[in-house]
Amino acid sequence: MAEMHTEGGAGGDFDLSQFYQIFFEEAGENLDQMEHMLLNLNLETADDEELNGIFRCAHSVKGGAATFGFADVAELTHQMESLLDRLRRHELQPNAAMVDVLLESADTSRGLLARHQSGGEGVAPPTADLVRRISVLAAGGGPAPTPVAAAVAPVVAAAPLPAPPKPAARPDGVRGLQISIGPLDRPEQADAIQELFRDIPGLGSIKAAVSDRSGVRVFDVDTTSSDEDLLDLFAFHVAREKVAILEQSTDHVEPPVVQSGGIDQIGFGFFDGSPGAPQTPSTTEVVATPVMEPALIIPKATPGKVASAAAASQPEAATIRVAISKVDQLINLVGELVITQAMLAQNSRALDPAVYQQLLTGLADLDRNTRDLQESVMSIRMIPMSIVFSRFPRMLRDLAGKLGKKVDFVTQGEATELDKGLVEKITDPLTHLVRNSCDHGVEMPADRIAAGKSETGTITLSASHQGGSIVIEVRDDGRGLSRPKILAKARERGLDVSDQMSDAEVWQLIFAPGFSTAAVVTDVSGRGVGMDVVKRNIAALNGTVEIDSAEGYGMKVSVRLPLTLAIMDGMSVGVGDEVYILPLSSVVESFQVKADAVSTVGQGSQLVKVRDEYMPVIELEKVFQIPRFDFERSSDIMVVVEAEGIRVALLVDELLGQQQVVVKNLESNYRKVPNVSGATILGDGKVALILDTGALVRRSRH
Amino acid sequence: MGMMEKLNELTASGAREYLTFRLDQEEYGIDILKVQEIRGYEPPTRVANAPNFIKGVVNLRGTIVPIVDMRLKFNCSKAEYNSFTVVIVLNLRSRIVGIVVDSVSDVMELPPENLKSAPDIDSVIDSAAVLGLGSVGDRMLILLDIERLMSASEMGLVSASD
Repeated sequence: MAEMHTEGGAGGDFDLSQFYQIFFEEAGENLDQMEHMLLNLNLETADDEELNGIFRCAHSVKGGAATFGFADVAELTHQMESLLDRLRRHELQPNAAMVDVLLESADTSRGLLARHQSGGEGVAPPTADLVRRISVLAAGGGPAPTPVAAAVAPVVAAAPLPAPPKPAARPDGVRGLQISIGPLDRPEQADAIQELFRDIPGLGSIKAAVSDRSGVRVFDVDTTSSDEDLLDLFAFHVAREKVAILEQSTDHVEPPVVQSGGIDQIGFGFFDGSPGAPQTPSTTEVVATPVMEPALIIPKATPGKVASAAAASQPEAATIRVAISKVDQLINLVGELVITQAMLAQNSRALDPAVYQQLLTGLADLDRNTRDLQESVMSIRMIPMSIVFSRFPRMLRDLAGKLGKKVDFVTQGEATELDKGLVEKITDPLTHLVRNSCDHGVEMPADRIAAGKSETGTITLSASHQGGSIVIEVRDDGRGLSRPKILAKARERGLDVSDQMSDAEVWQLIFAPGFSTAAVVTDVSGRGVGMDVVKRNIAALNGTVEIDSAEGYGMKVSVRLPLTLAIMDGMSVGVGDEVYILPLSSVVESFQVKADAVSTVGQGSQLVKVRDEYMPVIELEKVFQIPRFDFERSSDIMVVVEAEGIRVALLVDELLGQQQVVVKNLESNYRKVPNVSGATILGDGKVALILDTGALVRRSRH
Repeated sequence: MGMMEKLNELTASGAREYLTFRLDQEEYGIDILKVQEIRGYEPPTRVANAPNFIKGVVNLRGTIVPIVDMRLKFNCSKAEYNSFTVVIVLNLRSRIVGIVVDSVSDVMELPPENLKSAPDIDSVIDSAAVLGLGSVGDRMLILLDIERLMSASEMGLVSASD
């Protein structure tokens, strides 16, 4: 099994504890939100949005807890997630008992978290019974209880004795599972998971079972791995949502549950479940939430004592949680202030310094203060990439262990800051890329040695700022992509390919939807697993993905994201009487052009030769139909801009200067304008349009 | 919606207040509640490839607002920009739009009995956007559903996709 260098490796140096506070805050927020949503959930008409929302909350808490190694919280929330997952897939109808048990679980999770936060003091609220009850509900045992059934919970005294606490994990226990996958358009995708069991030693055994639904594959599995681990593995081949895992022999695992099979008992079960619960039914709080059945009983804060005891000793956090909308408002206002300040500065230029000395000094102070203020405000939204990176060492360690590979994980540039909104959205695609690298990139130790490499593979995750973008790279020194195999696969799928394609074009093929078939993966060729999704997610953030690979030596996936902040550095250019802003990050160079340096191709497209390179010329005057009143003048300045790896030369009249501009949305009151990405307000209060260099570059290609 | 229903809807709430403005010789009225403010005209920033009646965008205290010249939209014989030219800033459901008019005349209350439905006429204005006609003394007021007029696709204010 693999060894991650937890102590020595660069990844292992990571001190997770610095993120504990953030996790506790997030988890608390998620649990609060989940409770709120559960309370407002209308059982009969629960819509997907609500159920997905609740699921996401549980999922986030679980993810964090697993990362930080809080196994008890992870286990409990994992069970909640399983139940919620079945609900949101409409395999089960939500009922009051489920809501109750979920609420109770949320409370218990809070108690557990509070205990971890206080450094593990005090007694942990017991979770075994909750876990059991949730899994019974998730297994869909028996008819759904009516709300009334839950409401008669006070009979709890007559309920069976508490079940013996179930160990959270059974180290020696082999579980018999029935796993159904589907419905899928192409069910043969699911067959690939059988190969997983073959390829990964120690995972267990699998055999196909008979499925009664079309497009659904059913397997009988004996394994020691947890559901979550299995799902993680299966995710390479089939979407997580399509996988359902059922314990085949519940009674074998959980004897107490099946006493009479009556769901009522299960409904009551949770009251007797927590030996540490101080509450008796008579003190249970009745919450009359309008949308819920009036008599529904919700046991609030079951582990209340534990939680509050822990809370008392908990040090006061040095942070405050503020709604993002407030921060955004602040950023907007500061943007306004900057504009006003620039306007004042411009107007004061004509003043005689001797006469207005005091005013001008004041304005200079204002200038400095506004810039400082702007920087401080902008930094509120920025968080370091280490928040994202910190999730990976653990995940990779587990995954590598499961696959029997040896992987070192190295991170670089953790301090690179990125907008919070982007951080949240980049995590999933990155997770996918890192997993791909581990699963399909890095070879088995024996293969590596045979290939003359060191036994341990290295996966590097790095982040850096490049101009106005952040570039995140996932590198591995594994087997890399195989050009012939990708081409063969593409032909098989009927894609239009030829042997003359450049490597870059070939690599792009793995982004084609559905390219990620099991065959590709197990054939050891590419690793197009879900790459189309990765690409789509990143494109949605206005980012790009590039692949660089050398067969046998590894590959590199670079994700380039704009910082998409409200403020950017711009270069203002004049054409006719109009002013346009170019993102400074895309400007490469500018120069004065002589008429004879521009040549035409087929009487149409113009090209200019810049050192040994011909570049297409785009005349802004024509693109934007700019009226010209002064016919003496003409555009004779070329600004070379680069976007999406392509350079074009923009023909403008003059360069006006560089300045920070506040990016305003043109679409909020107007509409999308071709070749324009937004607008800004100049120092004189006028509006100037910001050019979309990406669109201009694409335009030159057609 | 039939013309009578429109009028009924208009009058159901009793007298409403209208801001009236002039375009050439014609007088129009719009619901005062849709009006955010009235400003002098300042030359906007031209936006490429927009219809001629969209003069461009201006900075309204940090918000980028498109400016529509109603005189060009309604084919008035002349559209001058001088110190009397006025921009009415409208606050429609989800967006802010400025319209250029020759002058703003009045805010007036129109009792229901002064409202008449507009006959079917051939005009550059989409008849669905004309709520009715109001008579004030011997003046005729064309009451516009400004919300509908501004959100029509031919105004080019909204992207085709949304």
